[in-house]
Amino acid sequence: MGTDDDGGDDPGSAAAAAAPFADVDEERLREVFEAESYVADDEIVTTVLLALRLGKPLLIEGEPGSGKTELGKVLAGGFSTDLVRLQCYEGLAAENTLYEWNYTKQLLAVQAGEGGVEDGGGSGEAGADGDGDERSVFDRDYLLERPLLEALSGDGDRPPILLIDEVDRADEEFEALLLEVLSDFQVSIPELGTVSADRPPVVIVTSNRTRGLSDALKRRCLYLHIDPPSFEKERAIVERKVPELDAAVAAELCGVVARLREEPLLKQPGVAETLDWARAVRELDGEGEGLEPATVRNTLGCLLKEAEDVERVDDDLIERVVADATAE
Amino acid sequence: MFENEEGTDLEAARERTLGALVSFSRALRREGVSVPADGSLVAARALATVGLSDRERVRAALKAALVAGPDEEDVFERLFPSFWRQFAGEGDFWTPPAQDGPDAGEPAPVEAAPESGGGEDTNGSDAGRDGGTVARRGGSTSETESADPVSDGTSAAVYSPVGSTERVDAIGREDATLERSIDRLGRALARLRGRQVTQSGDERPDVRRALRRAGGGVPLPLPTAGRDERAVRALVLADVSRSVLDTVDRPFLLAALGHMTREWREVRTFLFDTDVREVTRAIGSRDAGTALERAEAEWGGGTRIGEAIAAIRRAHPGAVDRDTVVLVASDGLEVGDVAELEEGMAWLSGASAGVLWLNPLAGSPEYEPTCRGMAAALPYVDGLFAFAGPGDVREVARQLERQGLSGSIGYEYDPRP
Repeated sequence: MGTDDDGGDDPGSAAAAAAPFADVDEERLREVFEAESYVADDEIVTTVLLALRLGKPLLIEGEPGSGKTELGKVLAGGFSTDLVRLQCYEGLAAENTLYEWNYTKQLLAVQAGEGGVEDGGGSGEAGADGDGDERSVFDRDYLLERPLLEALSGDGDRPPILLIDEVDRADEEFEALLLEVLSDFQVSIPELGTVSADRPPVVIVTSNRTRGLSDALKRRCLYLHIDPPSFEKERAIVERKVPELDAAVAAELCGVVARLREEPLLKQPGVAETLDWARAVRELDGEGEGLEPATVRNTLGCLLKEAEDVERVDDDLIERVVADATAE
Repeated sequence: MFENEEGTDLEAARERTLGALVSFSRALRREGVSVPADGSLVAARALATVGLSDRERVRAALKAALVAGPDEEDVFERLFPSFWRQFAGEGDFWTPPAQDGPDAGEPAPVEAAPESGGGEDTNGSDAGRDGGTVARRGGSTSETESADPVSDGTSAAVYSPVGSTERVDAIGREDATLERSIDRLGRALARLRGRQVTQSGDERPDVRRALRRAGGGVPLPLPTAGRDERAVRALVLADVSRSVLDTVDRPFLLAALGHMTREWREVRTFLFDTDVREVTRAIGSRDAGTALERAEAEWGGGTRIGEAIAAIRRAHPGAVDRDTVVLVASDGLEVGDVAELEEGMAWLSGASAGVLWLNPLAGSPEYEPTCRGMAAALPYVDGLFAFAGPGDVREVARQLERQGLSGSIGYEYDPRP
């Protein structure tokens, strides 16, 4: 139950085909998070479990650096399956996300008389009609799969994890394109027909909320908002990810970050910044002398990414926050 | 569609689950949450997946299924406790109910319900669609009114001459975040400049005391003074008119008032709508529901802040002094005389150390204090803040810590998105 190798591969089970992770239980999921050193609270575990078992896409929102993308990677690593990542950006178009025809190959095939230009007409699964000279250049041999299609046509033991990262950076047109993929797990290729996923991928969509997403997209997804971590959770993350760092220093470091987050900064440091900073401090603090204001000042660039923020955090403030953190 | 078999505990439990779920989805929609048409269906499947025994799991599952944004999350968090109480009503929901007949207070069965256990029905039929799939028995007109009596708290149904009858959820919710926020606000108030100085502190030399003790050239240890962090003197005026109760989470309001009253040293708390009542003792007790009932607190009328302040001025002139910070929790939708409100606010402002106005509406990004009551009161207010959750209380504390009462404080300086 709930392992990589059993259950979900049962070809006779329609339910398993619809939700290939339907056999995963909470214990197994916690094991995966544990093995991948991902500190997940109960809400994250429950929501991810639901996404896996119900086979619904999961929309994750949260501050940059809160571990949204990492969650997708962790699932892929933990369940030993492929991660298909689609990084979104402005101007992302269908040909970058779904498929392209390999025009050069098609042209060469037509010139060599190996294929015609008739549509594949839905027979694309085999890619040929049987008779050599009747082959169409619009079949799968000439198709360049881009991430979305690649995720739908995965043939591993487990379906892949499809990570659609920072969807808010893409245009609204791209969202419309996603709808078909997310609701039916299929892609329509006019020349070829509809390609459906035998085993739908686990879809993780992340957003930094730089713009609102369409209701239609949100409706198709389960929703998870990853809050900025509590002091305790952040400390656990730092201790897990940067084990070489002295536990007391890790606690001080998280205390400083928590305290700095109370300041009106233009960009609040996320967990990713905390981890970067922890690694920097580890490198500099070879003797384990604890967190000194000078170290904080010299490594502040790991934590704060806006010039105004670095300027705002002056020596007085650093001394105060370090004193607060060490006192706690 | 399934038959409602009387006497089948499982069926009754299932009906109650779905009924509560559909009611919850509809309540969320009414509050502006864009619950999708198949939201109840997905939520039912989610519940079937995570089980019903663990409150936090149920909360996470429903949130994943019904919510799609942090703003909606706030509404969800506000309404979920009520849902849970309805859901887990009559004590133990997961053991066979003692009386499994259709009681008047129960949500009625769902007429066309999805298969909550299997989740195989994927045709998109929505148990929560606003098509009247849920019919309530007993002809009650308000959902809150028909909610089951809760097992872990007290409900007080009371009459108000202006508003309609209202069942007040009077559970003293244990909310550590809120309590921490209130404590922080208390500390911020206690540290305001000019606040009460005690001899026990060690912040600065107490020159007066040193001079009094000095005599005969005998060296003495230098006495010091500091501010007592618990020496908050506050007057809390909480508006419980219909408009406020519709906006603010009542358990939050009660818990906030209760914790302030209990933990801050000198606090007097008054509730007002069209009338004003002191509830310091009642709301400070752990059993706030019973206590409020004893205090004959009425909820749900219109707002007459001016009259309330005038009444306090007449009946409790000692409630406000130079060292008292006045906290007014109200939306400022005054139905009384604005001139009287202005006069009352002028008195409060002049007689107290400061007036902070906590407005449940001010959390909205579009909020402008333009309603006539709020506009009239604003010149006399040191800071107008949002008041809808622990985060808002924390923000008040943060600004007071940084700026004090006389600095640039208020909802317009709230950096939160």
